[in-house]
Amino acid sequence: MVRFKNRYVLCEVLSDDPRCRQCIEDRAVGLAVRDAIGRVHGDYGLACCSISFTVKYLNAYTGTVLLRCRKDSYRLLCSALPFVRCLESRAQRYPCALNTLHVGGTIRTCQKFLIRYNRRQLLMLLQNCTNEEERQSIRKSLLSCSLTEEQSQSGDEEDDDGTE
Amino acid sequence: RRELPDGGARPNAAQFKQLVVSALRELHGEVGAALPVDVLTYEEKTLSAILRVISSGLVKLWSALTLLGFYQNRRCAFRVLQTSPFLLALSGNSRELVL
Repeated sequence: MVRFKNRYVLCEVLSDDPRCRQCIEDRAVGLAVRDAIGRVHGDYGLACCSISFTVKYLNAYTGTVLLRCRKDSYRLLCSALPFVRCLESRAQRYPCALNTLHVGGTIRTCQKFLIRYNRRQLLMLLQNCTNEEERQSIRKSLLSCSLTEEQSQSGDEEDDDGTE
Repeated sequence: RRELPDGGARPNAAQFKQLVVSALRELHGEVGAALPVDVLTYEEKTLSAILRVISSGLVKLWSALTLLGFYQNRRCAFRVLQTSPFLLALSGNSRELVL
């Protein structure tokens, strides 16, 4: 049986600028990545990777982005991600960097990885946390985070924007 | 060996190399432009040259040269006459070799 196989690349947007978080949106990230692929791999690479390219999931609070591309061209995409230097939206340009966390064949594997990764991040935040209330809220969210069948987003997580 | 039919302008060797690298950059981006291509010989009279490239880069180079259309706003085309892994094979046609 022949079917189109996709690769899902999970990345994280890192930025020094706190205002960058508000302008993380799917079209801006998609355009920035396409532009980087065009610069690094030329017309051929751009066309190759754009066949089935979309931003599948985006979380502006944590800066998590899930991109989809064809299996034949995911290496071109992954090699061009370090060349994404700024995000542009609403005529504002913010410097940023994309960190690749995981490459998976299905959304489900990326979701499972993301839950484990977020759990580990919450544990690290717990260690660095100074306030008792924040500790309580992190502990509560760690205990409640799980893959439930009804939800399609990745588990229940609360985020501590104060300690990030 | 490549042949480049042209209208008026005659590039010299450095401009020819610049042309090849810019063709690679358009089609294959920075990665293509970084492909090590050497111009072994270049004749300005016949506008023909012998290029050397690593064997894994042959497809990229050939496709980039095929799709290059313009030189200094004049139409031009690259014609590939012969490719071979040995330089000696490019010097003559082995079918007409008289022993």
